[in-house]
Amino acid sequence: MSAYFIRRLLLLAPMLLVISFFIYLAIELTPGDIVSYMISPELIADFSPEELAAMRQALGLDEPFLIRYLHWLGGVLQGDFGYSLASGVPISDIVLDRLPATLELSAVALFFSTLFGCVLGTFSALKRGSATDNALTVFGMLGVSIPEFIFGLAALVLFALELGWLPVGGRLMPGYETLGDRLPHLVLPGLVLSLTMTAGVMRYSRSSMLDAMNREFIKTARSKGLPEWRVNFLHGFRVALTPVIVLIGFRLPLLIGGTVIVEQVFQWPGVGEQFVVAVRAQNYPLIMMIAFLSVTAVLLASFLIDLLTALLDPRVQLD
Amino acid sequence: MISPTPRPRTRLDRQFDQIREREEQGTFRAGIRNRFLRKMVANKLALLGGGFVLLVIMAALFAPLLTEYDPLRVNLRAMLQPPSWDHLLGTDKIGRDIFARLIYGGRISILVGLGSALGAALIGVSIGVYAGYRGGWLDAIFLRLSEIVTAFPQIILVLILVSIVGQGLENLIVIFVLTGWGPMYRMMRAQVLSLREEEYVQALQAFGLSSVTICYKHILPNALGPIMVNITLTTAMFILQEAGLSFLGLGVPLQIPTWGNLLNVAQDLRILQNYWWVWLPSAVMISLFVLAINFVGDGLRDSTDPSLQG
Amino acid sequence: MAHETILSVRNLKTYFYTNNRCNKAVNGVSFEVKKGRTLCIVGESGCGKSVTAATIMQLLPKLSRIEEGEVVYHSASGDIRIDQLERNGKAMRALRGADMAMIFQDPMTAFNPVYTVGWQIEENLRYHTHLSSGERRERTLELLREMGIPLPEQRATEYPHQFSGGMRQRAMIAMAMACRPKILIADEPTTALDVTIQAQIFELMERLKTEHETAIILITHDMGVVAELADEVAVMYMGHIVESGTVADVLRTPAHPYTKALLRSIPVLGRGKQQDLEPIRGATPDPYRRPVGCQFMPRCDFASDACLKEPDESTVSATHRVCCWHTDQVQRHV
Repeated sequence: MSAYFIRRLLLLAPMLLVISFFIYLAIELTPGDIVSYMISPELIADFSPEELAAMRQALGLDEPFLIRYLHWLGGVLQGDFGYSLASGVPISDIVLDRLPATLELSAVALFFSTLFGCVLGTFSALKRGSATDNALTVFGMLGVSIPEFIFGLAALVLFALELGWLPVGGRLMPGYETLGDRLPHLVLPGLVLSLTMTAGVMRYSRSSMLDAMNREFIKTARSKGLPEWRVNFLHGFRVALTPVIVLIGFRLPLLIGGTVIVEQVFQWPGVGEQFVVAVRAQNYPLIMMIAFLSVTAVLLASFLIDLLTALLDPRVQLD
Repeated sequence: MISPTPRPRTRLDRQFDQIREREEQGTFRAGIRNRFLRKMVANKLALLGGGFVLLVIMAALFAPLLTEYDPLRVNLRAMLQPPSWDHLLGTDKIGRDIFARLIYGGRISILVGLGSALGAALIGVSIGVYAGYRGGWLDAIFLRLSEIVTAFPQIILVLILVSIVGQGLENLIVIFVLTGWGPMYRMMRAQVLSLREEEYVQALQAFGLSSVTICYKHILPNALGPIMVNITLTTAMFILQEAGLSFLGLGVPLQIPTWGNLLNVAQDLRILQNYWWVWLPSAVMISLFVLAINFVGDGLRDSTDPSLQG
Repeated sequence: MAHETILSVRNLKTYFYTNNRCNKAVNGVSFEVKKGRTLCIVGESGCGKSVTAATIMQLLPKLSRIEEGEVVYHSASGDIRIDQLERNGKAMRALRGADMAMIFQDPMTAFNPVYTVGWQIEENLRYHTHLSSGERRERTLELLREMGIPLPEQRATEYPHQFSGGMRQRAMIAMAMACRPKILIADEPTTALDVTIQAQIFELMERLKTEHETAIILITHDMGVVAELADEVAVMYMGHIVESGTVADVLRTPAHPYTKALLRSIPVLGRGKQQDLEPIRGATPDPYRRPVGCQFMPRCDFASDACLKEPDESTVSATHRVCCWHTDQVQRHV
């Protein structure tokens, strides 16, 4: 197991390195004063043009690209992401401020879609051909066809504006900070973000479960006189689970990308919303750093899912 | 003798009795019906979907015949009017006819979706087939490249490129193609890797055919089924992406009507709640169209995948 | 020495109802299984032998049912009509694993790949015995040892894919024998194994018979296996038992054309290249278009018009029974 862990880690690190290289390249090549990115604006305001020029030299902007890249990388690893071109605020501040919101949203969506997708899909498979199964299949098709934001808009109109059951947007009201208070705000965006993933997981776990229940070891389990629930879940579902987890890993980028739009629809103060703002303002350093963050999130999550898969299926470790 | 009472007759038992009787009298319904039943139902959905897709494409192509309004014409005297016989779907904030914008918008949305899917397929397939076949460092490079590209959430990549090259219809298609070739490439590569070991390929090599010929003339046709399925599903994905981007105002420029653009106004809560005809038709159209495409894609997959048992 | 009958099957009919068609897979089968004896059910693929085995354990798929007949298990506490029990009900499940167990053709797919072998054996014990978890572990190691698996402490913590083919089959037998079932059904247990491993498995099964008085029902298509292991034989064709008797009866003095033809079509090691191998002419009929009367008629050298009516069972000797109008002819013919 530890050998597998190390192997996976060795694949992850170079990938991140290569990506960081391209990210920095993009930062340098895109329009915008690189000095404004690297130095705090307060400092810039204090200096005269000659001093700024000297500073450029000192910063090593004359140095070869590789050295500049390594400086930058060093900074990033220590938490210095540079400064936003638009507002001069340190990017790390911007990100840290908004990261919890996005993480909250993504975690809820991931949890919800995994749970409901698996449960509904398994149920569909066990009651194959029943009315419930057919209804769920229809829902599944709709779920992967209706864009998340449209579902979001419709849900917004219905539940927030018309019925007034849930708040229209935002993350919390000032003064209401506990999780319980925040929950109503979380419901709609979380549900909406998980829509496509839930539908996908449901469809896939249904077919995975059908596959698993057709295998020989199910017959063996029955021949041991085990009760049906044990056959279905400890044997059937347990084996069907692994491919589903792998699928969830593949679909993670979609989930994380989905936050960009969903946060817009619900005015959710997260990293995704900030990304759109940056794009509109052509604030390249911010754009790139958020992009880098999202890739890192995806790769880390994939790494964790790989480990989970290896735990679930002992044959995987042989790869 | 421990003999519990005989099992009660269930509905399943009665069905069985019926089938048995029919069989013994020779009047059975040929098994075809049931075995193909699911395929036919799925195919019915696929046909329905295909029909709808065709209908919408026709409507988009023959737009001028269906509406006399110009989708771009502003008419400040007829702002935000609800649907009427004059304006089938009402008008928007600056008096433009919604129905016209919907139909003309279909042109662009479908163009973007299908065009990008075909472009991505072209690139993905070409690289996948050749690099996969040759193997070695060429294959390794493209594999790593595709891994990096697919590690990014696609919308983020797209937005980065949009911010750099600016918005525009052609720009968007190119961006979609550049960011979306990954899955097709991976699929083709997998196909090629498995087909490469087939005997007929070795025979072709023995005959001295060049790699290019073997790849494109012999291996590729065998993978056409999955390619078609993939193109349909990718089209659906790109239409959804375009819609999302245009909703944000970062996709196709707002002057050119697309289905996604029509939804841009829905960011305004007032319009969202009170003027449903401005955004709802487009929302429904996108959903139905993508649903139809998914039906077609599923149907294609059912009929071209030999490993799927009915 | 008389052996007790532990299982009686009388006129069993199992029909399949897939695709809206009715397939009479087992169409009137009767036999007796005795303690400490091996009954081999032999026949070509599709003749219904596996279905018969599945029926005894009620491991049938959803779209099938026991149409008619009786499967009677003569347990210590009385006779149990298995065919009347609810398929996955409490009573049936109590029998499965504890009184009767089954081993399958491919041990790789028969084991669940994500659980250790030890865990899967212990599962059997958990549901049929009241042993504590420590006792279960002990018993598992004992079983593995008994079946000839070296280093059982280590093996029990390993996964099925880490075993070799022969060892996997032994592990499966260990799992099946965990609760000392009175009846062991083996469905082509050695088809997937090398010949040398086959011999070891056979040896193991013989030991089970002598040490635990287990009754074994062995399903196979291989006459060689029959010759090795069987005490009694039942030859199946198209859902019927066409001939049954002791192994000496059936193999030395076959009384049915099909049996005779089967024996003639098998090469015998050592007889050399000049053996007369005669494949049985014709092909197995489509189960949905069965011939009228005797099922073997279209392929039979002894057929006549009488065969348009299904033959009744006739006795050749006290132990030897056959279903053929022309059995006298068949027996005389060399």
